[in-house]
Amino acid sequence: MIQFFHVSKQYFGIEALSDLNLAIDRGEFIFLTGASGAGKSTLLKLIYKDEEPSKGQILIDSVNSTLIPANKLYKLRRQIGIVFQDFKLLMNRTVHENVAIPLLVRGEKKADIEKKVNSALALVGLTYRKRYLTAHISGGEQQRVAIARAIIGNPKILIADEPTGNLDTNLSIEIIKIFERINASGITTIIATHDLNLINLFPRRIIKLDKGQLVQDRRIEAGQ
Amino acid sequence: MKFILYSLKQALANLLRNKMVNALCLGIIAFTLLVPGIFNYISFNLERYINKLSENVEAIFYIKDESDSATIEKLLQHIQASLLVKEVGFTSKDQAQLKFAGEFPELKYILAEFDESPFPASIDVKFLADARNLIQIESFVRDINHSGPVESVQLNLDWARKIALIKKFASFAGFFLSAILMIVSIFIIFNVVKINIFYRRDEINILRLVGASNWYIKTPFLIEGLILGFLGGLLAGGLLLLTIKAFPLYAGFVYHIIKQLIDFKLLPQKIFWQLLATGTAIGLLSSFISLHRFVKVRPD
Repeated sequence: MIQFFHVSKQYFGIEALSDLNLAIDRGEFIFLTGASGAGKSTLLKLIYKDEEPSKGQILIDSVNSTLIPANKLYKLRRQIGIVFQDFKLLMNRTVHENVAIPLLVRGEKKADIEKKVNSALALVGLTYRKRYLTAHISGGEQQRVAIARAIIGNPKILIADEPTGNLDTNLSIEIIKIFERINASGITTIIATHDLNLINLFPRRIIKLDKGQLVQDRRIEAGQ
Repeated sequence: MKFILYSLKQALANLLRNKMVNALCLGIIAFTLLVPGIFNYISFNLERYINKLSENVEAIFYIKDESDSATIEKLLQHIQASLLVKEVGFTSKDQAQLKFAGEFPELKYILAEFDESPFPASIDVKFLADARNLIQIESFVRDINHSGPVESVQLNLDWARKIALIKKFASFAGFFLSAILMIVSIFIIFNVVKINIFYRRDEINILRLVGASNWYIKTPFLIEGLILGFLGGLLAGGLLLLTIKAFPLYAGFVYHIIKQLIDFKLLPQKIFWQLLATGTAIGLLSSFISLHRFVKVRPD
């Protein structure tokens, strides 16, 4: 599903990712971990092509993403749902309006949008906040709005950058459970986090980065 | 259709969101279009005036006495064949004498002194009315004048040349000012769209990342620039009409001097459409440049 071949990324001469080789299969659930500045966010940005690699090739669903021209980039982005660390929600719009954005940009019919928004909000348990202004709901609820927006377009890949960074433990567990439910429907899910307790609670494949290098790639089973 | 409606809605929302900035921008565009509009209007009227006067452009070619009828006939045919010519008439020496006698009966006795008519035969030519033909007419008359049977020619185009010079100056000054003011307009709309892009930068970023195409993001801004330019052109047209109507009321004696040259009754449709088209084009161009400069479409 996602393949990195000798990928490096430099910012003004400083290496954020160094000669990374990686393969992620369809339907996998992955925790991407490492300290701050390890290169997690850079790796995620390379997947949804917000950044270009300085060296190497990236294949997304067998397509070399480095060769996608800027005017066709939206086709790649429609296959990827993204949950941002800072949520990136429009605070002066309602929950419904925020969740509907990916479908609006695709020109879907109003009735279909309504149906899909309801399903997505039901999945994240937020139907009751549908008509609320996003600015008027809690941080945990905003996080779930961001998840609903990420999955509404039925993506092949779901990426979440520190989705629990601002939440307490109980809420964090609740959010990861939502991701598990989404992953169960076959969506490849990659979660960047530095919360080791959370990783231990949900044993899955772990990819660990340190100073831009892959230092660990293993699966942990329950009880390990 | 749905996409166009969405873009239009977004553009209008942007315009209404920054009412003050947009109103100011609209006023400046209207003013910058008004100035070239006034010059265009003056130039248009001068051209119309030259055309009006050109309807009476006539040349009289005086024929040498020794010219035979075959040569004169050949010359007449040559003149008639020209596209510039409306009417050609021939006056023989005897006809000229008769004409003189008819027009000045009290001087008839002078003619008795001559054995034959002292007047030369002449060819009278009326030209088609068009200010653009003046140079061609002059050149044509010069050619005929240098041909064998013509003794001399009577033609006065000095008045037309002077008005054409004023018109040329008005056109040049209008073009020069227009160029400067249009650059100013482009710069202003460019910055207004930049402000709106900045205001909506979060939304643009989100749209980009959830898979909106570049056109989906850019079209509302293009429409916004287009609306601003179109409204600016419309306002400039209204202001020009107002200027035309108000000028005679306040210009005093100056009005009486120039009313022969300029018709203060109407605003020609051509100028009005030109203002609208120019305004719209400026709006589109400047928002396009602004988008190209400030909306990120490529990965870093």
